[in-house]
Amino acid sequence: MLSRRYFLKGSALVAFAPVVPAFIPRMAEAAGADRDGRILVVIQMDGGNDGINTIVPFDDDGYGRNRRSLRIGPRELLKLNTHVGVSFAMQDAYDLYNDGRLAIVQGVGYPNPNRSHFESMAIWHTARPKDTNEEQRGWIGRAFDAAPRPKLAETRADPDAIFVGPEVMPKALVGRRINAVAMSRVEDLTLRLPVAPKNTNAPSQREPSGSAAGAPTPDVAAFVRRRVLEAYGTATALADANKSSAAGSEARYPGGELATRLRLISRLIKSGGGTRVFYASQPGYDTHGAQRLQQDRLLGEFSSALKAFLEDLKSNGLDDRVLVMAFSEFGRRVTENDSAGTDHGTAGPVFIAGGRVKAGLVGPTPDLTDLEDGDLKVSTDFRRIYATLLTEWLNAPANEVLGGDFQPMPLIRGA
Amino acid sequence: MPQSDSTSANDLAPAWEPYRPTPEAPWNLLRVVHLHRRAGFGATWPEIQRDLRDGPDAAVTRVLAGTSRLQGLRDDFPHLSDLISNAAVASGVLPRLQAWWIYRMFASPDALAEKLTLTWHNHFATSFLKVQDLDLMRQQNQTLRRLCRAPFGDLLAAVVRDPAMLVWLDGTLNRKGRPNENLGRELMELFTLGVGHYTETDVKEAARCLTGLAAENGIFRELKNEHDPGAKTVLGKSGKWEPKDLLNILVEHPATARRIAWRLCGVLMGESVVGEAALDDLADGLRQHKLDISWAIETILRSRLFFSGPNIGTRILSPAEFVVGAARALELFSPPPSTLELAAWITRLGQDLFQPPNVGGWNGGATWLSTRTIIARANFAAALVEGELNPLAQPLDLWSTARQHDHAADLRQATAFFADALTGGRIPAETLDEIARDAKTSTGPEPLRLAVAMLLARPEAQLA
Repeated sequence: MLSRRYFLKGSALVAFAPVVPAFIPRMAEAAGADRDGRILVVIQMDGGNDGINTIVPFDDDGYGRNRRSLRIGPRELLKLNTHVGVSFAMQDAYDLYNDGRLAIVQGVGYPNPNRSHFESMAIWHTARPKDTNEEQRGWIGRAFDAAPRPKLAETRADPDAIFVGPEVMPKALVGRRINAVAMSRVEDLTLRLPVAPKNTNAPSQREPSGSAAGAPTPDVAAFVRRRVLEAYGTATALADANKSSAAGSEARYPGGELATRLRLISRLIKSGGGTRVFYASQPGYDTHGAQRLQQDRLLGEFSSALKAFLEDLKSNGLDDRVLVMAFSEFGRRVTENDSAGTDHGTAGPVFIAGGRVKAGLVGPTPDLTDLEDGDLKVSTDFRRIYATLLTEWLNAPANEVLGGDFQPMPLIRGA
Repeated sequence: MPQSDSTSANDLAPAWEPYRPTPEAPWNLLRVVHLHRRAGFGATWPEIQRDLRDGPDAAVTRVLAGTSRLQGLRDDFPHLSDLISNAAVASGVLPRLQAWWIYRMFASPDALAEKLTLTWHNHFATSFLKVQDLDLMRQQNQTLRRLCRAPFGDLLAAVVRDPAMLVWLDGTLNRKGRPNENLGRELMELFTLGVGHYTETDVKEAARCLTGLAAENGIFRELKNEHDPGAKTVLGKSGKWEPKDLLNILVEHPATARRIAWRLCGVLMGESVVGEAALDDLADGLRQHKLDISWAIETILRSRLFFSGPNIGTRILSPAEFVVGAARALELFSPPPSTLELAAWITRLGQDLFQPPNVGGWNGGATWLSTRTIIARANFAAALVEGELNPLAQPLDLWSTARQHDHAADLRQATAFFADALTGGRIPAETLDEIARDAKTSTGPEPLRLAVAMLLARPEAQLA
C-alpha cells in the first residue's frame, strides 16, 4: 500500500489508486545512490552539564573567585587557546578538536532561562520557548513533517529517526507524520539462529499467476525475497565484521552506556538503512554535590565515546555523512554551592562533531565578570544551531520548523 | 451467493463476480490458507481440512459469521476477556492492554472481527502516548469492534463521540470562537474523503461544525453553549451544521465510499491487485448499500478476484498477523504462548498496538520490512520454537503436532507439513529439501524446531 505521505507531496498520481505498480518504481529507486544520505546524531547530556568546568575560562578572574574547590587550574587543562581549556578527562575530545573534527559553540541558551530540568529540556526539544506546553511536536518531528522528502525516503521501510535507549521517546522526535522508533539492544540486528536461507536462487512461487481483472502484477514476492535476503546478509556481514575485528572494533569502543549506544548507532548506520536522525541520552550531569569526580567521569565517557564513534565511522568511510550535536538543557551557576557542586544555571556549550565540521571555538566565551543575576549571559540562541543543522545538513525549512528566522552559524565546511 | 438484497451476481462487475472453483483456480490448500490469513489470523490444520472438504461458500460463510475457529476456544471467553482487560486497565501498563487484544486475536471465535478492529484502529489511529488513559483506549477498541462491520456512518459517528479520539485530536479544545482544526482536518483527510477532495476553508468550516464536543470522565458530552451555532458552508453545502450534519455530508460524499473501498482492499487484497475500475465498482456498491462494511467484506471474500492467483501470497503480513498467525498455525494451545511476550515481539516488529506512530497510522506493506524488523521476525521465530514464549519455558514439541496429523515420518515430511500449514504450500519443494538438509545437521536446536524457525524466516512466510 502506498504511503499516504507519498500523496501529501502533491504527486501527479491518482489519489489512492492501488493499481499503480508500487513495487517496481521503489525497487528501481532503491538501487540508485542515496543523494540525501546525511545523518544527524544527537547526544543529550541529561541533567544540566556545567559548561564552566567543561570549557574552562582559566584566565577569567571570575573563575577562580567563584569556583574555590571546583577550580581546575591551568596546569590541569588541555588548552584550546589562551583563554579556555578542557580537563584531562576530555583528552579524546581535545584530540578531535585538534584534528579538525570538533566545534564548540559557547554560551548557548535562550531568552528568559528556565531552570527546571523538565521545562528547559522541553524548550530544547520543541524550540518553542514561549509555547512549550502547547507545542506537541519536537523540532526534529517538525523537520520531517515539513521537509520536502525525496521519494526514496518516502517509501523506505526504515524509520526516519531512531532513539537508542530504554528511556521514553524524546519529544524532539515527536511529529505528525515522522516515523520514529526506539531500540535499545545490539541484539536487535543479530540473528539468533542460523535461519538465513543460503540458496538465493530459489525458484519463484509454484502457482502460476492467473489473470486478474486487467491489473498489472508487480512481483511483490520478488521484492520481499530481495529485502529479506538483504537483511539477513546485513546481519551476517555485521556479525562477521564484529567477529573479525573483535580485538579491533569492539575494543575501540570504551566502556560505558553512551559508548554502547553509539556503537549500536554506528551499526545501524553501517547497515545502510534510510534513517537520518539518531538520538541518545547520557544521564548524570545534575551535579549538585561532589561535582569534580562525577563530571570528570561523564565528560571522559562522553569524549572517548564520541572519538571512538567518529573513528569507527571514519574507518568505514562514513564520517563525511554524519554530524553529531551534543547539548545539555542548561549550564550551571557560576558560584559553586557548599557541597562542592553547582546548582542550575543558564548558558552552556554545544558540541558539533564530524568529518564535515568547521572545527574551533564558536561564539564569544562567556564572561564570568559580566553576569546576569549571578548567571552567565546567553550569547548564542540554540535555535541558530538548529537553523544551521536544518538548513545546511538536513535540508529542512528552518523558518517553518523553528517558527522564526534564526541566522545559521559557520559550523559546517563547504555547506 | 452474497446475501445482498439489491444486487445479483450479474450486477456485480466482473472483478467482484463470485468465485467458483475451476481447474485454473481450484479450491485447494493454497486458497483455504489464503482465506484465513487475509480474513483472520491464520487457521489450524483441522480448520483447514474442514474447509477443504466443505467448499468455499461454507468456508466464507463461517468466516463472516465468526464461527470458523475450532481450536483454542473456551465457553467463558467473553468473561475471561473482560477479566483480562479490567486487570490490564487497572494495572495502568500499556503492554498489558496490548496483551489483552492479542489474546482476543488468538482466541476469539470471531477472527474477522479482530482483523477489522485492527483495520479500524489503523484507520482512526489514536495513540495512548497522548491519550494516557488505558480505560479510554479500551473503550475505543471496544467501539471499533462493536461497529466493525456496521454501516460506516455508524462507526464514524461513534468514533467522533469517542473520548479517546476527542482527546487525541483536540476535539475537546475546539470551542466556539476558539477553533482547533485538528479533528476537522483529520476527519476529512484521513477518516473520510482523503486528500484532494476538500479545501482549507472546508477544514475551517468543519472545525466550526465540531465545536462543543467534550469528554468528561470518559463520557462524551455535547456542550451546546460551546458550539458555534452560526451558518457554515462545507463542501458546498450550507446550513447551521452540528457535528452529526457534518458527518452526514462527509459520509454521503462519493470520495468517502472510495476511500473505504480502498481501505478494505488494503486489508484483504494484495499489493496492486485491485485495479481502478474494480475499486470504483466496489465504491459504487458501497454507496448503494449505505456504506455497509459487511456487504463489502462479503463481496470481496466471495469474489473471483479474491481467490485469483495474483492475489495469493501478495500481501505483506503485519507484525500482529505474522506473530499470531504463527502461533495458531503451529497449534500452540496447550499451553498458549504468553500474550505479554507476543505483545513485546509485535512491538519489536514495528507495530506498537494502541500507539501508532502518528495519526496516519502504520503505513504497512513494504514499510513492515526494514532490516531491523526482518531480523526481528527471524528472532521471534527462534524465540518461539525454543520455548521462550511458553509460560512453562519449554521448547515446542513440534513432532507431537506433526504426529497428530500423520506427517511425522521424517524431518522432510514434518517440515513440509508445517510449511503447508503456514503458507498453504507456497514454499517450493527444492527449498523444503534444503531446509530439511540444513536443519538435520544442526548442532544447536533440535532439527524440526530449527526447520520451523527457518520456515518462519523465509521470504514466503512474510507474505500471505
